[in-house]
Amino acid sequence: MIEAIFGQYTISVLIFSGIWAVLTLSLNILTGYAGQVSLGHAAFFGIGAYTSALLTTRYGWHFLPAFIGAMLITAVVGGFLGLPSLRVRHDFLVLATMGINFVVVGVFKYTEFFGGSMGIINIRKPVLFGIVLSGEKFLVLVLAYLAFTVWLSYYIARTWAGLAFNAIRADEEAAEAMGVSVPRFKIYAFIISSALAGGAGSLYAHFLGSIFPDHFAFAESIAILSMLVFGGLGTIRGALLGAMVLKALPEYLRIVGDYRYTIYGGILVLMMLFQPMGIIGDGSWLWKKWQEWRKK
Amino acid sequence: MASFGQLLANGIVLGCIYIFIAIGLTMVYGILKILHVAHAAIYTIGAAVGLAIFQLCNNFWLALFLAMLVSGVAGMLVYQGVYRRVLNAPRIVPLIISIGLFTLVQDLLQKDWLLGPYMHAFNVNLNFADVKTSMFRLTSVEVVILTLAIIFLAAVYIILTKTRIGLAWRASAQDTEMAAALGVNINWVIALNFLLGSALAGAAGVLVGVYYNNVYATMGNVPSYKAFVVIVLGGMGNVTGTIVAGLFLALAETFLVATVGFVLPRDAIAFLLLILVLMFRPRGLFSRG
Amino acid sequence: MRGLKLLPVTVLLISAIFSLVLGCRPKAPEVYKIGIFSPTTGPAAADGTSALHAAQLAVKFINEAGGVRGKKLELVHYDDSAKPDQAVSVAHKLIEQDKVIAAISGSYSGATRAAAPVFQEAGIIMISAYAIHPDITKTGDKIFRVGCLGTVEGKVGGALVVEKLGAKRIAILTIDNDFGRALTEGFKSYLQGKNVEIVFEDKYPLGETEFKAILQRIKEANPDVLFASAYYQEAASLVRQAKELGLKAQIVGQEGYDSPKFLELAGDAAEGVIIVTDLNRDDEREIVQKFLTEYKKNYGIPADMVGASAFDAVQILAWAIEKGGPTTEGMLKALRELKNFDKAVTGPILYYTEGREAVRPVGAQIVKGGAFHFFAKFDDPALITPPW
Repeated sequence: MIEAIFGQYTISVLIFSGIWAVLTLSLNILTGYAGQVSLGHAAFFGIGAYTSALLTTRYGWHFLPAFIGAMLITAVVGGFLGLPSLRVRHDFLVLATMGINFVVVGVFKYTEFFGGSMGIINIRKPVLFGIVLSGEKFLVLVLAYLAFTVWLSYYIARTWAGLAFNAIRADEEAAEAMGVSVPRFKIYAFIISSALAGGAGSLYAHFLGSIFPDHFAFAESIAILSMLVFGGLGTIRGALLGAMVLKALPEYLRIVGDYRYTIYGGILVLMMLFQPMGIIGDGSWLWKKWQEWRKK
Repeated sequence: MASFGQLLANGIVLGCIYIFIAIGLTMVYGILKILHVAHAAIYTIGAAVGLAIFQLCNNFWLALFLAMLVSGVAGMLVYQGVYRRVLNAPRIVPLIISIGLFTLVQDLLQKDWLLGPYMHAFNVNLNFADVKTSMFRLTSVEVVILTLAIIFLAAVYIILTKTRIGLAWRASAQDTEMAAALGVNINWVIALNFLLGSALAGAAGVLVGVYYNNVYATMGNVPSYKAFVVIVLGGMGNVTGTIVAGLFLALAETFLVATVGFVLPRDAIAFLLLILVLMFRPRGLFSRG
Repeated sequence: MRGLKLLPVTVLLISAIFSLVLGCRPKAPEVYKIGIFSPTTGPAAADGTSALHAAQLAVKFINEAGGVRGKKLELVHYDDSAKPDQAVSVAHKLIEQDKVIAAISGSYSGATRAAAPVFQEAGIIMISAYAIHPDITKTGDKIFRVGCLGTVEGKVGGALVVEKLGAKRIAILTIDNDFGRALTEGFKSYLQGKNVEIVFEDKYPLGETEFKAILQRIKEANPDVLFASAYYQEAASLVRQAKELGLKAQIVGQEGYDSPKFLELAGDAAEGVIIVTDLNRDDEREIVQKFLTEYKKNYGIPADMVGASAFDAVQILAWAIEKGGPTTEGMLKALRELKNFDKAVTGPILYYTEGREAVRPVGAQIVKGGAFHFFAKFDDPALITPPW
C-alpha cells in the first residue's frame, strides 16, 4: 500500500534518510548530550556494516543475530576507540576522531579479511519470519529501529547517565568534583552512540547489498555532524529533521541540476550564520515560535 | 635502500609544501581557535588564479604574486564576512560554517565556467636551476619551492618576532582579551593574520599545481585534512612547531614508503601518527609547552 | 513522552512533502528513453562528465540517422556523485518516474554494484560502461558490461609484456582498488610458467601524487618493464617522476591512462608509454573517426576511454532495441545473438559470454609524438575470453 502511494524511489530516499536519522541521533548522544565532538562517526557506521556483512556472507548468520552482533561489536570497538576522549578535548578530540576515521577506513581497504578494495558483496536482504524484507517492508524495519533510537534518546536524557552527560558537556571539572566519573561516562557515551551507529550500518549493508571502504570515509562523518548541527545539536527533533532534510536535500535539488552541492554548502553557511542553534534547536526562531504557539 | 640523499631531498621539498599549507592554518587557529577547513578552498583558489594568470600572460612570477594576492584577500573576506560573526558562538558553529564554505567553493570551482571537472596542466618552464649532485637530483621547480620556502618563512619569522604587528599577533594568540585590554587592535591583527596565512596557502596551491603539473577543483581535499595533522604535530598555533612538523611528517612518510611501502594508505599513516601524538603529547611533538 | 507522538506525524508529513516534490511523473512522449547515471559532481566528476557527453553524442548520431525503429532515442541523466545510495535512488527514479526501457551506468564500481540489483529486480537491462568490479555482471541476467574485464586486460598486458616486448625482469605496481587488483591478477596469471622474473611488486593508494620513494625502489630492482595500474592523474605523476628519476624501464599502463588528460599532465614524459586499451586512435573505421572528431568538436577536448565505453553502451542498446524491440525480452534475445558488432568504437564486439561480458580483440596503444597510436592487437581467444 505504501508503495502504491509513494513509489520505490521515495521509499529508497526515506530508507536512507531513516538510516541517516539513526546516525544523527546516535551522534547526538555523543556530541549533543555528552559534548564529545566527533568527526569520525562514519567509522562506527562502517564497523557495524562490515560486521553484519561478514557475519552473514562469510559465516552464514541470519540477519537478526548479525544485526545484534553488529551493534555489540561496534559497541566494544567504539568504547575502545573512545579512549582518546579521555586524553584530549574539543578541537583535539575533533582531530583525533577524524584520525580514527581514516585509520579504520584504511584498515578496511588494506586488509584481506575485510575484502580490501573489493569490498563485501552479495549481502542479502534480511529475512524475518520467512518474509524477505525489501522495499516498503525494509522501510518498516528502518522506521522501527529509528523509533527505538528516538525512544532510547529520550530515555537516556532522563536517566542518571543523561544527567552525567549533561554535566560533562557543561563543565568537566565541575562534574568530576560533583562525583561524576567523567572517564566512565565518556566511554559510555561512545559505547551507546557507536552501538546505534553500528546497527544503522547493518541496515545499510543489507539494503545496499554491497559495501566498500569509501562508503564510510571522512566525508560521511562530516555529513552526519553537519546534519546534526543543522537540525539543532542536542535535540532529538533537530537530529531527525537535520537528517531528513539534508539527506534528502540533494534529491530535492536535482531540479537545479549540478549546483546541488553549492547550494548545500551555502545552506549550511547561512544556517550557521543566522540560526547557529539549528533549524529547530533550543533557542532557534522556529522552536521559540512553536513553544509560544503551544502556550496559547 | 634507495639513495638516502635523494629521499632526503624529496622529503624536504614535500615538507616545504606541507609547511606552506599548514602555516596559515595554524596562525588562524592560534588566534581564533577555529578549525579553518575552508583554508583548503583558499589553497585551490590560489592554484586556479595562478593557472589562469599564467595562461593569460605566461609569466610565472606574476601568476604567483597575483594568486597570493587574491588568496590573501579571499581569506580576509572569509574572516570579515563569515567568521567574525560567529566568534562568540559555540566552537562547533565556525567548524560547520567552514565545512559549508569549503563544499560550496569546491563545487562552484567544478563548474564549466571555472575549473570544470577535469584536471589542468600547469606547465611552467623553469629550466634554469636543475641541480644534479652525486647524492641527489633536484628539478628547477623543486629548487624554486625550496628557495621560496626559505624566503617566505624567513619573512614570516621576521614579521612575527621583529615587528610590532608580530608582537601584537603573538600577544593575541596567547591571550586575546588581555591583548585587547592592552590596546591591541585585535581585528587588524586577525585580518592581517588571514591575509598572510591565506596568501601562503595560495602560494602553496600554485607551487603544488606546478610541481605536480596538475590543477583541479577538488585538489583541496587532501590538504583539508592533511594540514591538520601537521598543525597538531607542531602544536596548534605554534608557527615554528608547524615548520618542524611539516618537514618531519613529509620525511617520515617518504622514508616509510621507501622502506616498507604502503602498509596503510598514506593518509592513514599520517593520522595514526596524529592519534599517537594526541594521546601522548597533545601539545605537539615540537612545542616547548 | 509527547515527542514520540509527534514522530509518526512528522514522518508522514515529511514523506508526503517528499512524494509531492519528488513524485512528478512526466508524460510519455514518442521516444525510447534510456537512462544513464554518472557522477557529474564530486571528485569523480571528470569521468562522469566524459561518460555523459559521449553517451549524448551517441544518441545524437543515432537520432540524426533516423533513430531506432522510427522513434528517437532520449537520454535521461542523473548525477549520482559516485555515491551508492544516490545511485540506488536514481535507479528507482529512472525506472519508476522516467520509465526508461534500459539503463547505462556511467559511474564507478561502488555505485554501479549498488544500483545493479535494483535494475535486475525491476527487469530492466543495465549496461555498465566502465565500472570494473567483476561481480557487477554476476548480479543477474539483465546486467551487462561493455568495458573490458580487468582480468582480461591484465592477461593481455602479460602477453604484451612477455611476447611482444620480450621482457624478462618485470616490476608490478598496483593501484589499491578493485581495478588495480583485477588487472594485476590477470597479469600475473599470464606470467605463470613463463620465463620471467617478478623483481618488484607493491601497491599504492588511489590519489597518490608522490611516487619518488617507490620509484627509487623500483629503479634499484632494475626491471625491463614496469606494469603500473593507475588512473590518468596518478599515471601522469608516475611517468613524470619516473623520468625525473631516470628510470629506464618501459612503462606499460592500461585503460586508466587512456585519456587526453594523461597526455596533457604528463607532458613529454608520456612519450613511449604503452597502454593496454580498446580505443584505437588509428582505427580506420568510420564510426571511430567520426566519434573522435565530433567529440572533440562538441566538447573541446579529445575523447577518452571512459567516454568511448559509454558511447558503445548506447550503440549496443540502440542496436538491441532495433533488432529485438523495446522490451527487455526482445533486447535480451538480441544481445544473446550479437555477433561481430561493428558499431562500437572500442573495437568490434565479437559476442557476449554467458556471464554477459563483452568479448573483443584487445589492443594496445603507444604514445608517439604526444598522441596515442596503434601498437598491437591481441585476438587469441585464450587471451581475450573472460572467465565467465
